[in-house]
Amino acid sequence: MSAPRSHAELPAGARVPATPTYASVTAALDRGITRGLTRVTGGIIGPYQSAVVRIGMSLTWLLYLVREFPHRGALYGPHSAWGFDLAQRLLASNHAFSVLMWSDSRAWFEIGYAFAILASASLLLGWRTRTSALMFMIGVLSLQNRSVFMGDGGDNVVHIIAIYLAFTRCGQVWSLDSRRARRRAAAEAGQAEAARGEAAPSTVEALSRAASGASSDAGARPEGGAADLTAGAGPEARPVRAAAVARAGADPVGIVLWAVLGVALIAATFADKLSTGWGLIFWACWIGQAVWWAVRRYAPGEPRTVLDIIANVVHNGAMLVIIVEVCLIYSTAGWYKIQGSRWQDGTALYYPLHLDDFTPWPALSHALAGNDVLVMLITYGTVIVQVAFPFTLFNRRVKNVLLVGMIIEHASIAVVLGLPFFSLAMIAADAVFLPTGFLLWAQQQITGRRRARLEPAAGVVPGQRADGPAAPAVGPPPPTAVT
Amino acid sequence: MGPMEGPSPDVAALSLPGRIVVAVTVGAVAVGALLHLGMVFLYVAPSNTLSKEHGKAVNDYIFPEFEQNWKLFAPDPLQQNVHIEARAQVRKAGGGTQTTGWVDLTGMDIAAMRHDPLPSHTQQNELRRAWGYYTDTHDTQEQPTAGDGSDLSRTYLLRIIEDRFGPTLDGGPVIQVEARAATTPVKQPSWVAGAPTPVTQYRTLPWWGVDSGAEDTTSAAPGSTPSTAPGTTPSAAASGTGPTADPSGQETSS
Repeated sequence: MSAPRSHAELPAGARVPATPTYASVTAALDRGITRGLTRVTGGIIGPYQSAVVRIGMSLTWLLYLVREFPHRGALYGPHSAWGFDLAQRLLASNHAFSVLMWSDSRAWFEIGYAFAILASASLLLGWRTRTSALMFMIGVLSLQNRSVFMGDGGDNVVHIIAIYLAFTRCGQVWSLDSRRARRRAAAEAGQAEAARGEAAPSTVEALSRAASGASSDAGARPEGGAADLTAGAGPEARPVRAAAVARAGADPVGIVLWAVLGVALIAATFADKLSTGWGLIFWACWIGQAVWWAVRRYAPGEPRTVLDIIANVVHNGAMLVIIVEVCLIYSTAGWYKIQGSRWQDGTALYYPLHLDDFTPWPALSHALAGNDVLVMLITYGTVIVQVAFPFTLFNRRVKNVLLVGMIIEHASIAVVLGLPFFSLAMIAADAVFLPTGFLLWAQQQITGRRRARLEPAAGVVPGQRADGPAAPAVGPPPPTAVT
Repeated sequence: MGPMEGPSPDVAALSLPGRIVVAVTVGAVAVGALLHLGMVFLYVAPSNTLSKEHGKAVNDYIFPEFEQNWKLFAPDPLQQNVHIEARAQVRKAGGGTQTTGWVDLTGMDIAAMRHDPLPSHTQQNELRRAWGYYTDTHDTQEQPTAGDGSDLSRTYLLRIIEDRFGPTLDGGPVIQVEARAATTPVKQPSWVAGAPTPVTQYRTLPWWGVDSGAEDTTSAAPGSTPSTAPGTTPSAAASGTGPTADPSGQETSS
């Protein structure tokens, strides 16, 4: 930025007329800032990428929790060698957050473990994504901080990304939330159509369709009394004018969820279980949800727009953090490797392939380790990719090549070194760099095949198709960049 | 399946208060994100001018929730296999005591992980990290170097060994246990000239009396015993008196 300005300060005669004047430079700067501001306030960066990270991380943690279910007590519960008393002493000194430390009863531990599983599944499906992301984070932190010496690099990745995900709007696509929003929009469109005509009964029909859509989403997780409340969703049952269409519904399921969590939060606060910092965070989230609901329902004009922009800005900040964090992971891993003599002489890979802890398939590992040229190529390749990756972000094509390489390498690590959950977590983190075009293509492959099988209501399809190509405008890599 | 919100909001169309709120948000998020990334960078980067000067601020920010370590197999991969072995002193019915042979606890974990595409953290991380924690908080004379952390790590390692052995062994109650780390360098690649034959070295820890805290934990939940189940396996192996009992038992808990 300072370079063009110093040019402008040169004597006018020293430059050809094409030289940018001070005024034109500041104008260009203004335009740039305006463009940047529009970008960070006007929409979310990487709706598809954030959805992939959400799905990948929650799936990793969910599979891990299911796999460790038989060992849960030894890992985080009453049978852990890292006993409750030891965890208490450690956490008293480092102040890590863990709901599991609120009670040493077996029932509380089982509830906590089940809660973590449910939160993962809910985030995976994108049901009430905002809330689910926060619950997911609570589940991850609670279990991992309870027994911090059980974790490895994979747990570390999940831990950090789980915190970042809570700040994103990662449920804008590929989620039950987005499906519900789409159905509501379709219903409202039908309802506006009907209002323009004469038939009030069809309005009611459209609304009841929307309501049933909402309750079927809620069916993803049992929600006491939700169905009854939905059936009684009265206010909109009267004919609505087109102007009021933008107003959000009462959302009884959301209210129930919010109330239940509110009771839990109040109980935790009064039992003095929350530190000041965490208390403030949770209370802010809880009140924020209420404000969001009220504004969407009663102030659909500017207040709603402002809240929308705030959510976008926070999401975009979190996405930046995730992107740089992944770059830091690779940079650190790569830069420290460069300093190692085994990575320099091309034999580094040989050693992990002979470490007992990381050779579930000894025959495979030893065969691989026996090939000296292959060992050297993979050793050098690993360092090159890790060190180079952050810089390749400036060149989409090279970035995509390295991305494929890294994903393949992590998939191999999953099998050869017996680190499936670490590898899955790393692939999920890598996925933040997948091109939007590729993700849309993948979506088309999956939904296209499913649609061909199921042949659902025709009216929905054109709308989705129209949305698709328009969406990448907010994502970083345009779809033309694929391959 | 496009993003579910409608048309993108336009800041220019907002009223002045609205624009101020947006501006403050943008500023706060930008500062917050950059501060966070700066802290993470200083934490993961090698010790440098800035991180030496502000080390405490960086650590205060990073710990506990943003702690991270990405020196994966770096600067050099581990080039030795560390096996934690343990033996126990058991009180016999006649009043005397008997010392069991060394049991390769790590070896039993490894046997359990063989050909398992989804190894459990209990097999892959528990002993490995507990030993790492112990060595981080003790010097080579086995003296504590990290205050309460040393005591935590010692108790943790002791309880793991106790869990694996179970309260009784060879028909008598366990009174003390002793651990040692058997470190064997990985054999150098065949194409490296002059590679020495690996020799196993032992670091033997003092005898430790069994920890009453662990017994309390066990007795607190008598209904289920998944973590004490493996204890039956070493007790079988411990009957052997060889220096490294054969980890023949393959089954793990549950």
